[in-house]
Amino acid sequence: MPRDSLAEVPDEALLVLYANGDPEAARLLTTRLLPRVLGYAGRLLADRTEAEDVAQEAMLRLWRQASEWRQGEAKVSTWVYRVVSNLCTDRLRARQRRRSDALDDVPEPADGAASAVAGMIEADRMAALDAALASLPDRQREAVVLRHIEGMSNPEIAEILQIGVEAVESLTARGKRALAAILSGQRAALGYEEAE
Amino acid sequence: MMDDLDDLFASAKRDAMQPSAALMARVLADATREQPKAALRVVPKPGFWAGLATLFGGGGVLAGVGSAAVAGLVLGFVQPVGFGSVTDLLAADTLGGVEFMPGIDALLAEE
Repeated sequence: MPRDSLAEVPDEALLVLYANGDPEAARLLTTRLLPRVLGYAGRLLADRTEAEDVAQEAMLRLWRQASEWRQGEAKVSTWVYRVVSNLCTDRLRARQRRRSDALDDVPEPADGAASAVAGMIEADRMAALDAALASLPDRQREAVVLRHIEGMSNPEIAEILQIGVEAVESLTARGKRALAAILSGQRAALGYEEAE
Repeated sequence: MMDDLDDLFASAKRDAMQPSAALMARVLADATREQPKAALRVVPKPGFWAGLATLFGGGGVLAGVGSAAVAGLVLGFVQPVGFGSVTDLLAADTLGGVEFMPGIDALLAEE
């Protein structure tokens, strides 16, 4: 099917077209979803290589799911975001395990957030945000990124994280307060004047 | 600090990672490899009957011609009573002199 005629087609219908053998549907779905998926994974992991691996894996799972996709149950984008959330959680936990294993051999204990804060003078604003986000619990971090960076609504986030809307509101509020607390002492490093 | 945080979120939104051409190519390669094979459009080779139907101008025409042929054969072998009387009449000697295609000799003779 010609590309122009697919431009207005919803993601769910594109996935059905893909399952029916339309190669253009895959290209269009990739163009729509990959930047969002990579951006989300990149903000959660703060590592381009890992984020690309996660984004590719999430898209691969989508292609494999295509022939069994049940229309009306979930939005394609919601489903992919959920996969990315889970994959990122797994990677962050593995990263924490590796870090704690490595720290067993190091006499001086170090806290991730504290280390990042200590290095704030050299860090840019995004690195500071990434470090602060990394110090949040998994669910809070995901909710804050989805709400305030990905720009999703609370019901959408609730569907992605498979929790209630009220829980999302609570997570985003607590997450934002925690971020503010972490970053409040770093205003100068973040590019904000103390006199503001 | 909350305003600053919103400012930081806005910067993060603008600063989001963009997929490289290599990543895009890898994802599309996965898509091609994983595309359900059973659903791919396969054009079947036309068989004997399809070719014959095309020769006659379509399946409907072929069915009509076939039915007429079979009906002719059946009538020829079975020869129902009604048909027999008609053929007997046609074969009768009394009809030997009937001119189904009269000439113009009679008209010429009157002149």
